[in-house]
Amino acid sequence: MTPALLELDEVSLSRGGRVVLDRVTLRVQAGQVTAIVGPSGAGKSSLLRCAVGLDRLDAGRVRVDGHDALELDPRVLRRRVALVAQHPVMLPGTVADNLAYALPAGAVDGEAARRSLERAGLDVSFASRVAGELSGGERARVAVARALTRDPVALLLDEPTAALDPARAAGVEALMRELAGLGLAVLVASHDVAIVRRSADAAVLLEAGRVTASGTAADVLDAWAGRPA
Amino acid sequence: MSQAAVGQVVVSVALVLAAIALSWRARIGLERELAVVSIRAIVQLTAVGAVVTLVFQHVGLAAAFVLVMLGVAAWTSGRRIRAIPHGPLLAGAAIGLPALLALGLLLAAQAFPATPRGIVPVAGILIGGAMAAASLTGRRLLEELHDRLDEIETRLLLGASAREALATPLRRAVTTALVPALDQTRIVGLVTLPGTFVGLVLGGASPATAARIQLTVLLSLLFVELTASLLLAHLVSRVVIVAGERIEVPQAQARYGA
Repeated sequence: MTPALLELDEVSLSRGGRVVLDRVTLRVQAGQVTAIVGPSGAGKSSLLRCAVGLDRLDAGRVRVDGHDALELDPRVLRRRVALVAQHPVMLPGTVADNLAYALPAGAVDGEAARRSLERAGLDVSFASRVAGELSGGERARVAVARALTRDPVALLLDEPTAALDPARAAGVEALMRELAGLGLAVLVASHDVAIVRRSADAAVLLEAGRVTASGTAADVLDAWAGRPA
Repeated sequence: MSQAAVGQVVVSVALVLAAIALSWRARIGLERELAVVSIRAIVQLTAVGAVVTLVFQHVGLAAAFVLVMLGVAAWTSGRRIRAIPHGPLLAGAAIGLPALLALGLLLAAQAFPATPRGIVPVAGILIGGAMAAASLTGRRLLEELHDRLDEIETRLLLGASAREALATPLRRAVTTALVPALDQTRIVGLVTLPGTFVGLVLGGASPATAARIQLTVLLSLLFVELTASLLLAHLVSRVVIVAGERIEVPQAQARYGA
């Protein structure tokens, strides 16, 4: 088995005395789409937060490309492993300002902005739009483009299709496959069974903060479907 | 009691009662607080009136009095940032440093006599101004940290340092806190005749002298309030920034994914 690009090893997290993640182990391969499935409140979003160091782990470790995440500069880690939130927040200014935020001056030229926008399914004309005036679906795409301008090796998506109509959801699905095809490790938290079944190579089932099944997307979804409600 | 004293008591008490009645009628819910602060003000000023004669006669007592002012200001302002550990201590530092620095400069330049009569009132004004700025800064900054945590986390996710991610909330808090000081300076003489000016004129100083002293205080306050605001914002941000370029807001749940 090739070494995983992103590894979470026995990761535990508690918040206000409540156990949120309990010794979760997860491997995300480059060039693959890996899905985290499970009921609401199972800890899917928290797991993504832990992967980018937004929450302090109680135990366990995160490795990126074989390196312990604690040894990486958190700012570098969050560019290499880019997390796109379920309801992305647009920063003040234009879409171009958002794409270039916190990057060295000149790092995102017109060409880089165009490439990121087009990959996220947006026209280059979006660059000059005021980010705060975009619709929910447009924000979601700009958030993906914003992550891509950071040249990540892994892209973490939290419920990327939750607020989208079926046509746009299919677009996100195609985008995930395309990015994996370019060699990125894609990790998606979703409870959209159909999309996970179609687009994910591997999956884990998270229930009450614990991994209760892992394997191919089909096996994991079948295991989840077999659970008493 | 002189005719003036009777008039002062009757009209001011009547106006406070009217304010309480208005609050009750409009269902604002401030009746109790209006009554409490009015009674506090009466007790505090009567007590100060009694001790101030003593304080004005001994430098040691005057210094102690300034420290009490600072302590009360730190406590009052610290309560506005209760969620932050050691709030009163941080507020005390943010208020005391600029206020005492400005006071020292004014005394060194002999702008005011280095006597209890010179020190106590000026220290009161500077500490009071710094307290107002620190309270507003702390309150607004905590609001920003609670209400805009998802924006701050977005900045972190995009690779900003925690300091960079807090720059915008910090700037918003400081500019909001400085609004009263800026407005007070902008309209002085046109809308308000500030206390120092009025007091000096009533005390027999020429209007020109009164204006000069008032201006000295007012312009010093701009420095004192801005510095107090920046210091408090800096101290609070040092508390909420934790290792690993993360931000932990006490008593706040992380918005996203929590």
